[in-house]
Amino acid sequence: MFELICNVLLWLGLLYAYFFNVLEAPIPDRTARNPYTLKPDVWPKAIIILLLICIAINIFNIIRKNRNNPDFSFASMFNINVKRWIGMALIIASSFVLEPLGYMATCFLVLFLYGLLLGQTHVIRLLIFSVVITFVLYIVFSVLLSVNLPRGTIPAMRNFSLYVESIVATVKSAIGM
Amino acid sequence: MTTWELFTNGFGVLMDPYTLLMVVFAIIVGTIFGALPGVSATMAVALGLPFTYSMQPIPAIVFLVAVYCSSITGGSITAILFKIPGVPSSAPTTFDGYPMAQRGEAGKALGIALGSSAIGGLVSALAMLTLSPQLTQAALSFSPSDIFAITFMGLSILTCLDSKNILRTLISGLLGLLLACVGQDPMYAVQRLTFGSPELIAGLEMIPVLIGIFAVTEVLKQTKKRDKLSADESNASVNTKMPSWREWWGIKWLLARCSVIGTIIGILPGAGATIASFLCYSTETKLSKHPEKFGTGIIDGIAASETANNAATGGAMVPLLSLGIPGGNAAAVMMSALVLKGVQLGPLLLVNQPQYLSATFASMVVTNILMVIVAIAIAKVFAQILAVPYSYLGPIIIMLAIIGSYATNMSIADVKIMAIAGVIGLAISACHFNSAALILGLVLGVICEGNFSRAYTISRANLVNMFSRPVAGTLMVISLILLIWPILSQMFRKNKD
Repeated sequence: MFELICNVLLWLGLLYAYFFNVLEAPIPDRTARNPYTLKPDVWPKAIIILLLICIAINIFNIIRKNRNNPDFSFASMFNINVKRWIGMALIIASSFVLEPLGYMATCFLVLFLYGLLLGQTHVIRLLIFSVVITFVLYIVFSVLLSVNLPRGTIPAMRNFSLYVESIVATVKSAIGM
Repeated sequence: MTTWELFTNGFGVLMDPYTLLMVVFAIIVGTIFGALPGVSATMAVALGLPFTYSMQPIPAIVFLVAVYCSSITGGSITAILFKIPGVPSSAPTTFDGYPMAQRGEAGKALGIALGSSAIGGLVSALAMLTLSPQLTQAALSFSPSDIFAITFMGLSILTCLDSKNILRTLISGLLGLLLACVGQDPMYAVQRLTFGSPELIAGLEMIPVLIGIFAVTEVLKQTKKRDKLSADESNASVNTKMPSWREWWGIKWLLARCSVIGTIIGILPGAGATIASFLCYSTETKLSKHPEKFGTGIIDGIAASETANNAATGGAMVPLLSLGIPGGNAAAVMMSALVLKGVQLGPLLLVNQPQYLSATFASMVVTNILMVIVAIAIAKVFAQILAVPYSYLGPIIIMLAIIGSYATNMSIADVKIMAIAGVIGLAISACHFNSAALILGLVLGVICEGNFSRAYTISRANLVNMFSRPVAGTLMVISLILLIWPILSQMFRKNKD
């Protein structure tokens, strides 16, 4: 049933995109008047038409194959893995909090919370692991590979990142890097 | 200077202990950079640039070439062990490498990846030395319609990726092609399919989508009520071993074909290692006696992808050295460094500064041989990570995915795209769609559309004229046959039954 609903939603979404979102800005006059150019909407519209046909056939196939299947019902939709849904929410949330919280807090929280979600019961060990890995990844990417990891926009988080950076800079100058 | 003199001079240059040491250092740096998700070959070469500022021209060339070649190989390590392609060109390696690792054959998968990478690299280095001027002229005569036909041939794999699910694989490939349309169109910069999001105007960045669909989806699949990987899934005791001579002999023609195709694709401006690996994977699926085994974990799939992407590195050096035209982004970064060192790239290089061509060739040969030894050691270190319980490893993979996506453009939007791609990857898997087909469409979509559009304008909107060139016409006919044949054969089989 989940597969059928996804396919139907995809079909409706593509139909909507075909009419409203393929072109979101006017085609330049010179391009529109030139008969020898491929207009910017032709390629995506051709793909959408093919997709609409293929997905319609797929929906028909799903219904035909499951016509006599007793498990093919809306009730089966609720047999879901709660942990997996929490995992998805955690990953999406981490991508949104990376900017305000910065790398340090986000990394620590992801390591700790996802560790708990995956069944780690030694909380103290997990806390130490999260702190150590946060710093190891920081050193590899920020110090060795010069990737400017986000500092965070919340003042406290930003100040903490700047504090860590100042310590790293002191250590680097002390060892002559 | 004759080819033999170039050959001997090159190795003479590498006999200098300092230069040889630089090659070893560059291989270590390049392999680690390549293995880290989000650090592409271009980024690896760019990160290697500061090391060359104080070097003489020859050690600098040798260093950058070694970083470039080894970073492409390094990408296969995480592709096989974690299903995270370190570089985009290693994406097809995950199709067969990761299933082998899950079966407890990670060592063999790494062995075949490293061995075939070395073979591809060596063949392309030889091609670079002996055929530079001829190959460059041939590649530069390729028109947009020829390049479109080549990429279309890569797309013809769609009906072969999963012979039991042709319709769903086609849908996945078409979805990938549609995702490649997001953002401004390649010819007139008209905004398409962004749904008003300013973060999508520049289009979907490849690395975050790859990381999301391959790595994050895998962690989400593992998010169940268990902690450790089961014994047969764990690769903790990875002992990189080379396949037997018999196995190598069995794929000799595959290695030869992929080396040649990879070198030619590498020479084409704007193509590169990613297209080479996808195209060779698709070609070998078609030519194989057992195409249904591709994607289930066979050495042919890994060898095809890894031979091709390393062969493309040598190919990319051909137009760079003989015409001063970079074949790809990494070659462009290298070009700027070489010009800084006073190297005259172009037709006069062979006349005025042949020692630089010799050094590049020798560096590629030595790198491709030494790389196998260094990469085995690095792979062992990476494999040890798999010994830790999944409740520690899973979160580390997610953090590597987040940092890898962010590091590509220092963009938070890319992290969001990666997270959404991870969730979409899970939905794709639940709907029995094919994520490999989706990635294939996404990777080839931009090149396909751009070249089709150019060829359409050049041929004055006449499709017959567009494919009247011998290369384009022949390739299109072959591609269409390859695309339609599996569908027709399935229909015939059903009718027979």
